[in-house]
Amino acid sequence: MANGWSLIIGLAFIVIFCIVSWFAAPKGENQTVWRSTLILSAVACFLMWAITFLAQWHPLIVPRRLDLRPEHEPSRRF
Amino acid sequence: MAPSKDTLFRSADMSLTQLYIANEIGREVVSALGELGVMDFRDLNADTTAFQRTFTQEIRRLDNVERQLRYFHSQMDRASIPMRSIYDFNNPFTSPSASEIDELADKSQSLESRISSLNESYETLKKREVELTEWRWVLREAGGFFDRARGQTEEIRHSMDNDDAPLLRDVEQPPQNSEAAGDRSFSVMNIGFVAGVIPRERIAAFERILWRTLRGNLYMNQSEIPEAIIDPETNEEVSKNVFIIFAHGKEIIAKIRKISESLGADLYSVDENSELRRDQIHEVNTRLNDLASVLRNTKQTLDAELTAISRSLAPWMTIIKKEKAVYETLNKFSYDHQRKTLIAEAWAPTNSLGLIKSTLQDVNDRAGLSVPTIVNQVKTTKTPPTYFKTNKFTLAFQTIIDAYGTIKYREVNPGLPTIVTFPFLFAVMFGDFGHGTILFLAALAMIYYEKPLSRSKLDELFSMIFYGRYIVLMMGIFSMYTGLIYCDAFSKELPLFPSMWKWQGEDGTGPEAVRVDNYTYPFGMDWRWHDTENDLLFSNSYKMKLSILLGWAHMTFSLCWSFVNARHFKTPIDIWGNFIPGMIFFQSIFGYLAFSIVYKWCVDWVAISQDPPSLLNMLIYMFLQPGTLENPDAPLYHGQAKVQVILLMMALICVPILLFLKPFYLRWEHNKARAMGYRGIGESIRVSALDDDDEEGQMLNGGRESFGDDEDGVAMITQDIGAGEHEEFEFSEIMIHQVIHTIEFCLNCVSHTASYLRLWALSLAHQRLSIVLWDMTMNIAFSMTGITGVIAIVVVFYLWFILTVFVLCVMEGTSAMLHSLRLHWVEAMSKHFMGDGMPFEPFSFKTLLEEEPIE
Repeated sequence: MANGWSLIIGLAFIVIFCIVSWFAAPKGENQTVWRSTLILSAVACFLMWAITFLAQWHPLIVPRRLDLRPEHEPSRRF
Repeated sequence: MAPSKDTLFRSADMSLTQLYIANEIGREVVSALGELGVMDFRDLNADTTAFQRTFTQEIRRLDNVERQLRYFHSQMDRASIPMRSIYDFNNPFTSPSASEIDELADKSQSLESRISSLNESYETLKKREVELTEWRWVLREAGGFFDRARGQTEEIRHSMDNDDAPLLRDVEQPPQNSEAAGDRSFSVMNIGFVAGVIPRERIAAFERILWRTLRGNLYMNQSEIPEAIIDPETNEEVSKNVFIIFAHGKEIIAKIRKISESLGADLYSVDENSELRRDQIHEVNTRLNDLASVLRNTKQTLDAELTAISRSLAPWMTIIKKEKAVYETLNKFSYDHQRKTLIAEAWAPTNSLGLIKSTLQDVNDRAGLSVPTIVNQVKTTKTPPTYFKTNKFTLAFQTIIDAYGTIKYREVNPGLPTIVTFPFLFAVMFGDFGHGTILFLAALAMIYYEKPLSRSKLDELFSMIFYGRYIVLMMGIFSMYTGLIYCDAFSKELPLFPSMWKWQGEDGTGPEAVRVDNYTYPFGMDWRWHDTENDLLFSNSYKMKLSILLGWAHMTFSLCWSFVNARHFKTPIDIWGNFIPGMIFFQSIFGYLAFSIVYKWCVDWVAISQDPPSLLNMLIYMFLQPGTLENPDAPLYHGQAKVQVILLMMALICVPILLFLKPFYLRWEHNKARAMGYRGIGESIRVSALDDDDEEGQMLNGGRESFGDDEDGVAMITQDIGAGEHEEFEFSEIMIHQVIHTIEFCLNCVSHTASYLRLWALSLAHQRLSIVLWDMTMNIAFSMTGITGVIAIVVVFYLWFILTVFVLCVMEGTSAMLHSLRLHWVEAMSKHFMGDGMPFEPFSFKTLLEEEPIE
């Protein structure tokens, strides 16, 4: 479902969003504020998401439980 | 050429304008411009003192009126009559005519005299009342003394008559004739007395002084007045004592009088005859009654008068304040006596010139003057002030930048990207969906109740938060987003999508998890990491790299603005000498680090069964032993060693370019210009003998161009523009400047990248703190059962919620905000910010009234 292509799809989505917000930003004296705010927000959010996605794409460690009953816990370190 | 639209990206295009205003309508013109609030008037009489200026008389008069209005206000405060709020008026901002101002001045003059005379008579009456009250107390208390003392006159007499009388006689046989002797007067015995009141705290000193000066030759009696006496002058309550002193001899009585008066006692006459005393008391009482009714009437009249004033005091104060500002501005103008014209110079946004012209035309038409007001645009080499047209959303963000430094005229405004980056970096440190929601809702509430809140008086801390309500809104939105990414809501997980981990083992409980094949958690952190043994191990590695990557992106983004600035100011040497070598230096080290982080994530190290290299060691080896790897058998990618050597070489080459290119280019350019015969203005090198006299004359004039006479205001102004703001070329200065810049830039690349690790540290601290809070409160409450459990949950929930708001949202939020602020001011703005501009301070009634609000 979610694999490496997600990054490309996400990027494409953000690029389209940026283009749309550049042209669809309300006209008037606040147009610049609208454009920069929408585009920068989109880019910042995408970066955050992409980094998180990448970090979990090929994880080097796996989760280990802490809350198991003692007989299931082979190596309790307390 | 139509001027381009003013945006927040660069400061507005400004023009220096000259206004020629007919003297008759000067006041009206300035007042109309004050309503517009787009002109920053320059002081053309900087060398004249405040007393010598043209409109000092008017300002003095208005000062006086202002003082009178303040007097009314203080009187109203004393009588606790509320002033009608300025917001109750539909339009208090209409500018009044000169005759209306005169009327107002006369009115406040007459009102002042009326109020003060009323006050005076009220105070006199009050004083009278106090005196009478004191007298009544003296009469009442002293009466008691007399009655007691009278009983003893006989003994006093006896003891005085025969000194050899046995001391114990009066104890053994009480005198029989005391009643008969009761009416005998003290005066017969030559005993005088003084009666009066004295503040209670002085009574001890009073007694001591009397005792010492009279050597004990007195009989003093005193008693406390149970009710406090109000001092009419200071309106303070004073508790006083009544005293009566008997003594022998006229001189001694006179002495006692003097002493008591010097100690602030009030003396009252008391008759020793009880009949007369009764009459006195009676009289005092009637007089007190009369006085009370007169006082009540006076007070009513005064209050009625003040209430009438209170209805229109706020607009009056506004009008006078504006009027004063108008004359203070007019004082900045130079006055041409011959042509009866006022000449003004002001900076104004070029885009507002049309508005200014039409406003001036309106004023002219209203006054019916044939002489038009002339608006001239002046060409000048002076740097215009920096002006950004902000709205209530952008204002607070712009304030963040302005707090650091005023942006140079037409420089790229870091305030524009700050709208997003500031709350976003805050949110990276504050990432929690629940806490973000609290911030968001609080900001929404503040925005919804904007009007009532902005009119009410707030305490300092809250007014600061209220000022930044749109920042808080953005921070709330982004915190909700990063909370979703971190998968945290009040420290609990948010299972939005199926997890990418399945618990291993026969019954699916673990202890280790296995990955679901070919599936990565699509949005944010996997919620299965919550409450695991090694979640810190994973999230630390993730957040550390996240902060490095975001820091790299933020700094690269900021560095790019220096390119845009250099393009705009047409200084290509800043591109070739600063931007490009700096960019290469930064990217070949930290851009490479960012690339390696992403590349390492993209490789499936388990699948190719190879140990992933440590990135930190890689960076260290890259510098310490270029060309070798920590583990040559397991490189990050093929040809890693070669690439790293090339990158390092590129970075090293950039340092001398950064250091020398710009200063030497500037020197070459300067020398070329001089070789062609150009000279700097004010360089005093004699070119030919003919110029000799001129030079001498200039030196006598203080090195400046001749000033022209005072009559010729125009000449003076244009001369003034040329002066100043010309720097001489000094190679050593430029070189030193560039050396500092280079060292700073290269070292800062390292320290600033490390500085972004605060994103990781703070987000870690925030997450841990909210987990601890949950465990210490709600978790304990959930473990209880039965009715105690229910009560505990309710109580603990409130505790948890209050702590969440105050510790996690307010305290942690403030710290995250300060760190984000630092990242903007230091890490980002040092890459491009020049910031040596002057702020634009337009003459505006609106800001005037905002700065000193009339409550």
